Amino acid sequence: MKYFYTLIIVLGVSLLGLHVSHAQTGLPLELTILSSRTLNGTAGDFVTVQGQIKNTSRAAVSDVTTYLSLVDTENKLPVDLEDWSAEKGLYIGTIDTGQVFPLSWKIHFVKAGTYALIIVATAPISDTPQVSAITRFNVAPKRNLNPGNILPVALGTPVAIVLLLSLLAYKRQRRAGE
Amino acid sequence: MFKYIWQKEIRGQLYTWKGMVWLLVASLLLSFTSYLLLTNKELSLLDQTELLWLLSKIIIGVALLIVTIDASSIITTEFEQETAESLFLSPLSLKDFLIGKFLASFTLWLALFVVATPYMLATSAGSNLALAFMGYILLLGSLGVAGFTFFVFALSLFYRSSKNTLTTSLILLLALATPALFSSTLKTAPVIGAISKINPFDAIFSSLDNILVDYQTSLWQNWQFILPLFMFCLLTFALLIFTARLFKKQGIIKSSE
Repeated sequence: MKYFYTLIIVLGVSLLGLHVSHAQTGLPLELTILSSRTLNGTAGDFVTVQGQIKNTSRAAVSDVTTYLSLVDTENKLPVDLEDWSAEKGLYIGTIDTGQVFPLSWKIHFVKAGTYALIIVATAPISDTPQVSAITRFNVAPKRNLNPGNILPVALGTPVAIVLLLSLLAYKRQRRAGE
Repeated sequence: MFKYIWQKEIRGQLYTWKGMVWLLVASLLLSFTSYLLLTNKELSLLDQTELLWLLSKIIIGVALLIVTIDASSIITTEFEQETAESLFLSPLSLKDFLIGKFLASFTLWLALFVVATPYMLATSAGSNLALAFMGYILLLGSLGVAGFTFFVFALSLFYRSSKNTLTTSLILLLALATPALFSSTLKTAPVIGAISKINPFDAIFSSLDNILVDYQTSLWQNWQFILPLFMFCLLTFALLIFTARLFKKQGIIKSSE
């Protein structure tokens, strides 16, 4: 009986060890970027980042979530994705063995600069996320000087109203003087 | 006879420096907003349709505010300055009086629309939406302004005091405008969703969103927004008729009792 308990304890510890080692090995998922690795554009442009996620293990991986991470490489700062992409994360769910899911994000170039984007995949079976290769963005500034002739309108309309008011006031004064 | 009232008000409001300054202020506000929207580094990244939507909200918001403030005093001053008695001693019916005052308030909206026209043309240039943009602002704005004017006139006949009328009107305007600014996600909540369906502000902004962002430009595609606005006008008109009858019953002297 003593041997039996020892065996149970040894087996338990081994299984726990296996589980821990599995959690530390990372996800058996492969993230591939299908779109160009360097995307150029002007602030205001939209680009699409496409990729795919593949389960390379022999077991299904459940509760998989993929999301974007964007870094301003000039200022060495992470960027809030709020204006850049309407969909920050994509919930995939379960990926069966060998199954491939396409990933697509529409990105709005909000501000000029150089940026690095990665796709991150996480699942509860591992503490280590899987990351894709870097996609680089080179965003040129948008020169938007006086589009649609707004300056003449913005200045001209109040001036026209002031002139009209002055004319009315002048007419009233003249009429009162007569 | 209403022509006389209308012309008298217009002369007082639009032919004087002081009476026209609000138009200049509105024009400066539109100048600042449209210039900022088109030239500011980050704001200019908005889609042109979103920019038009934002501008249309400002035009209609300013119009409703100005007309509400004007309508709050246009009738009540006759009681406060004690000119109502002499007015109603003349062969002037209450109907003509109200029509004249309504046309005067509505003219302010048309004046603002004329001032806003160059901005609308400049911002919508190249979008193929200029006609729809301006046409729907005129239609939706007119319905909104008419509804609010009827409501404020009803309050004016009931209160006969510009302070009370203005306070109540502005509170209602604010109360209706606030839920209209909620995001579409919040509007999925049952209570907010139900309020937004009958809120005239929401109807105006949702219709403009439908036209400018979703390109649903025909009247048929916007009936679900125009109908509640029309109902709002009918409802406030019915309220005005009710208070007008009450006013007739009580007589002009009530305020000095």
